[in-house]
Amino acid sequence: MGLLLITRFTIQEAFHRWLLLAMLVLNILLLAVFALMLNSAYSIQLANAPNHSDPQLFLLEFDIIISILSVWAAYLLSGALTIVLSINMVSGEMEANTFSVVVSKPLRRAEIIFGKWLGYALILTIYTAMLFFTFLGLIYWRTGYFPENALPALGMIEISTLVLLALTTLGSTIFPTLVNGAIAIMLFIGAPLASFVQLITASQGQTTQNITTFVNLVIPTDALWHGASYYLVPSFVFSLVQERGLLFSLNTPFTSIQPIAPALFAWAILYCIALPVGGAVRFQRRDL
Amino acid sequence: MQLNSKSATNQEPVGPPVYSKGEPSRSPSPAKSGDSRLPAVEIQGLRKVYRQIIAVDDVSLVTYRGEAFGFLGPNGAGKSTVVKILTGLVAPTKGTVRVLGQPINHIESRRRVGYLPEFPSFHRWFKARDFLEFHGRLYGLRGAVLEKRITEVLEMVGLSGREHQKLGTFSKGMLQRIGLAQALINKPDLVILDELVSGLDPVGQRDMRDLLRELREEGTSIFLNSHLLADVEAICDRVAIINQGRILKVGAPAELFDKRRVFEVRVSHVTEELLLRLKAVALSIEAQEDDPSSLQVEVQRDEQAADIADIVYACGARLYTLAPRRLSLEQIFFDTIDALKPGN
Repeated sequence: MGLLLITRFTIQEAFHRWLLLAMLVLNILLLAVFALMLNSAYSIQLANAPNHSDPQLFLLEFDIIISILSVWAAYLLSGALTIVLSINMVSGEMEANTFSVVVSKPLRRAEIIFGKWLGYALILTIYTAMLFFTFLGLIYWRTGYFPENALPALGMIEISTLVLLALTTLGSTIFPTLVNGAIAIMLFIGAPLASFVQLITASQGQTTQNITTFVNLVIPTDALWHGASYYLVPSFVFSLVQERGLLFSLNTPFTSIQPIAPALFAWAILYCIALPVGGAVRFQRRDL
Repeated sequence: MQLNSKSATNQEPVGPPVYSKGEPSRSPSPAKSGDSRLPAVEIQGLRKVYRQIIAVDDVSLVTYRGEAFGFLGPNGAGKSTVVKILTGLVAPTKGTVRVLGQPINHIESRRRVGYLPEFPSFHRWFKARDFLEFHGRLYGLRGAVLEKRITEVLEMVGLSGREHQKLGTFSKGMLQRIGLAQALINKPDLVILDELVSGLDPVGQRDMRDLLRELREEGTSIFLNSHLLADVEAICDRVAIINQGRILKVGAPAELFDKRRVFEVRVSHVTEELLLRLKAVALSIEAQEDDPSSLQVEVQRDEQAADIADIVYACGARLYTLAPRRLSLEQIFFDTIDALKPGN
């Protein structure tokens, strides 16, 4: 029961902070700009389509690219909000000395950590889903295209959000807020390095593969993004590109030609669970 | 005020012996209920080391149910560390601590404890009523019981009418009051207060002391951390003096603070004869350097004030002031420390 009280408190607090409101307003503006640009760009595509040998395929290519880019934007925005919203989850309370009267109450410290984690997880997953479907909804409204595997793609991005939240949860029980934020930002931004390394891996052998694996183990967000991008490409496109011997062209730092490896997916799930548990254990032993 | 009424049975003292290193403890006020000899706080061999800094060193004491216990010491003496250990915020390095008969991590016993930290800091976006509702719910209170209790504690701390005001707009004194309100929301059996009146104006200080006295009279156990002599004297049945992480003395305030009867005497003129005759009845006489007509006269009994007045009159001087002088906390510390030195 204490856990749910802390969850409710966390959600209330998030809505009382200007940060969430500012992000929502900026997102609305961003989506409005996106809708205008999409409308304009698609009009140009429609005008140019008859000039191509296969107008349908030409328009589909645009639809897929714009879907991937917009979902990538949702992934980045969601990651950014996760970091700024949760970096002070515990450290901020300790720095402000607001925890004394809460921790001394009849509830376990783990309930505080998991309650806060749950509160942020609810906010962030709902935010991510709203952003995801708004982007794809706008694309559908203008182009009539909607990815056939949108839900698995959303699942990957949601797990990526939870991975980042797990990282900030653990970090905020160990480090001061600024240090925790710096670590989370560096890892989140640095994670795509694995993708670049992966591009080279095919020709460079085991060492680079090991580096990629290591980066993905430390922060599996980018691997999950690639998993999401795989689901944003219709399956028949893979067959089509493969027939033409151009499959490698879909293997970019932003897209993937294969789903996330099951072992890596399992690791990401474990990551989402183990790090908050580690945070709870750390917080249990910490003097306030 | 509606607080838990404590049962009034006459029990013999139970629980562990008094571990006080200083003077033997005095029984709590007879006004307390019959379970007053049950321990409220039991600390034995408590030690806390932060890295290499010893904050608390081998502290042992027992406070009893219904007793108001003062923990007195200068800044940095280790008082707050002990309180944080009692409230589960800090883990002890060594030793055992029991609160209301249970280990400090016992959830159910925490339901019966209220805590107000030093310099309380709360989430500023909370409105007073919502803040108390949140803390009441953490104690397991719900519905009409909680609503009623919120109204009661707001009234008790003088914040009625401020229910819908955000804590961010509260003054320091009001934050202290709302902090005390959250500590009382569960009708606690034991209230732990870390520096009661910091941030309060004189009226607020008086109100809070009155409130604590009222709680004490109703049988609530109080553990008051303070560096203010006036706080503990006004409220507490017993006091422990702590310095540099160690308890120096435990006893009733009167025993600790009134051992020496020193009178401040100011007369029209000090003569040799006056000094000679005063020396005959006094334990010591000190002249004030900055005021040649003032003397500090130490005597054995309060009644000897009359002797001093007679002597002044007999020597032909006029008596302007004859007032008992209370020792400052600093003097008590120095006296206590001096008394513990070898050879004293």
